[in-house]
Amino acid sequence: MTLPSTQRPVDLAAWIAGAAEDVFASLESLRGTMVACHRAAVARGEPLTCRDIAEVRPIVLDWLGGDRDLVVGAGMIVAPGLLADQPRRLEWWHSAPGCDPVFLDVDLDPESLEFYDYARAEWFRLPRETGARHVAGPYVDFGGTDRYMLTLTLPVRSDGVFLGVVGADVPAGLLEARLLPALAALGADAALVNTGRRVIVSTSAGAPSGSLLTGAAEPGAVHPVPGLPWLLLCPLESARSSAVRSAAPV
Amino acid sequence: MVFAPLDDGAGRGEAVARRLAKAISLGLISDGEQLPSESELATALNVSTVTLREALSSLRSQGLVETRRGRGGGSFVRASPTALADRALARILESATTDLRELGDVHAAVSGAAARLAAERAAPDNVARLREVVDRFNAADSVEARRRLDGRYYIEVAAAAQSVRLTTQEFDIQAEVGAMAWIPARTALAPAAVAAAHHAAVAAIARRDAEQARALTERHVEALTQRLIEIHVDLARTAGGTRVP
Repeated sequence: MTLPSTQRPVDLAAWIAGAAEDVFASLESLRGTMVACHRAAVARGEPLTCRDIAEVRPIVLDWLGGDRDLVVGAGMIVAPGLLADQPRRLEWWHSAPGCDPVFLDVDLDPESLEFYDYARAEWFRLPRETGARHVAGPYVDFGGTDRYMLTLTLPVRSDGVFLGVVGADVPAGLLEARLLPALAALGADAALVNTGRRVIVSTSAGAPSGSLLTGAAEPGAVHPVPGLPWLLLCPLESARSSAVRSAAPV
Repeated sequence: MVFAPLDDGAGRGEAVARRLAKAISLGLISDGEQLPSESELATALNVSTVTLREALSSLRSQGLVETRRGRGGGSFVRASPTALADRALARILESATTDLRELGDVHAAVSGAAARLAAERAAPDNVARLREVVDRFNAADSVEARRRLDGRYYIEVAAAAQSVRLTTQEFDIQAEVGAMAWIPARTALAPAAVAAAHHAAVAAIARRDAEQARALTERHVEALTQRLIEIHVDLARTAGGTRVP
């Protein structure tokens, strides 16, 4: 994946969309494997267990071990109460550069301070409700990877049963490292924001990653990223960082 | 201090005991759970078996571990509410008032900053989550649940501030403060007062009043710290009659 040497926001938006499509294509294949596992278990007349879910493991490890650009973690997150042998389950692997992927060990005990309450997480809840793919974040993945993260997820349904979500993690810092040079080459201040107008990447120090933009942008400065809940804003002059107290979140 | 040798000398056993005690009081190792064998545990913690035995003996004297002999024997965790309450009270008494004040200072600094940034950066989703935690705290019917949800509240504020570092710091602070603030029969602050304080801070975050969110949070943490110091003085007075300095 090489970035376009473009000076046009619309081309950069299209490139970002393409990079996300690559990730979603890999997630589609994970989803297919999960559905096949569920059908096989149903055909055997057995309840689904952790061992069935682990069928995605070789695919995930292969993906994380390969020449991936942005994805540092991936796997299957199971709907609470679905498995016969565990109330909650993550089959999730993550990797650091030059290291083998490791199993993400999170605290799934609801009584614990560090409880990883994934059923309430945006990346799990929204695709479950809408049935559509989702990109959550950036958000603080506390108790999970403990990083500032973006998570791409697809809901997994098999014959009317919601099995959970398959997903991939992209750290905000890694995405920024890839996008900032292209953003900075647009010739005016630019920011990539999500639907909540939270900054994902920006060239403006006054509106850093994680801050909220308020105020309306000029219509001509708003470039939707096709297929994603993201907007590329360029030029950024009309937008202001969240230090302005005008728009309360509720 | 940085270059102090990490040999197997005196003090290492106590360090290992403190680490295990923290894990037990946080519920990472639960009541009745059997610890791995001495050699396994020593290897996992990277200490000698001599050091490990020292640590286990210290945990036994604190009533956090029980060792049974013979078949089916071994070391078992005793994390009953009474054992944990005794341990928490002992911790308040062991901490000098300067230690409690220091902890309160860091708590106020981290939580106050997190509240200010949350007011600037929280999305509606974050605010809804904060309200839910405060509501669950309000409805909680045990000290254990209150301790967990009170800690969770601070962690969620730091997450709403979009800061991984503040969130991590808050977790460490809550692990330490929570154990002392929520002791059965000796709760530092009335649950209703805590709920009201959190509720007011969340309202300030929701209306993006950053300065008010910070001020309310700092004031609440200062009140909590004062109460912990009062409990310490109180315990010291009671213990004074039975202990020789």
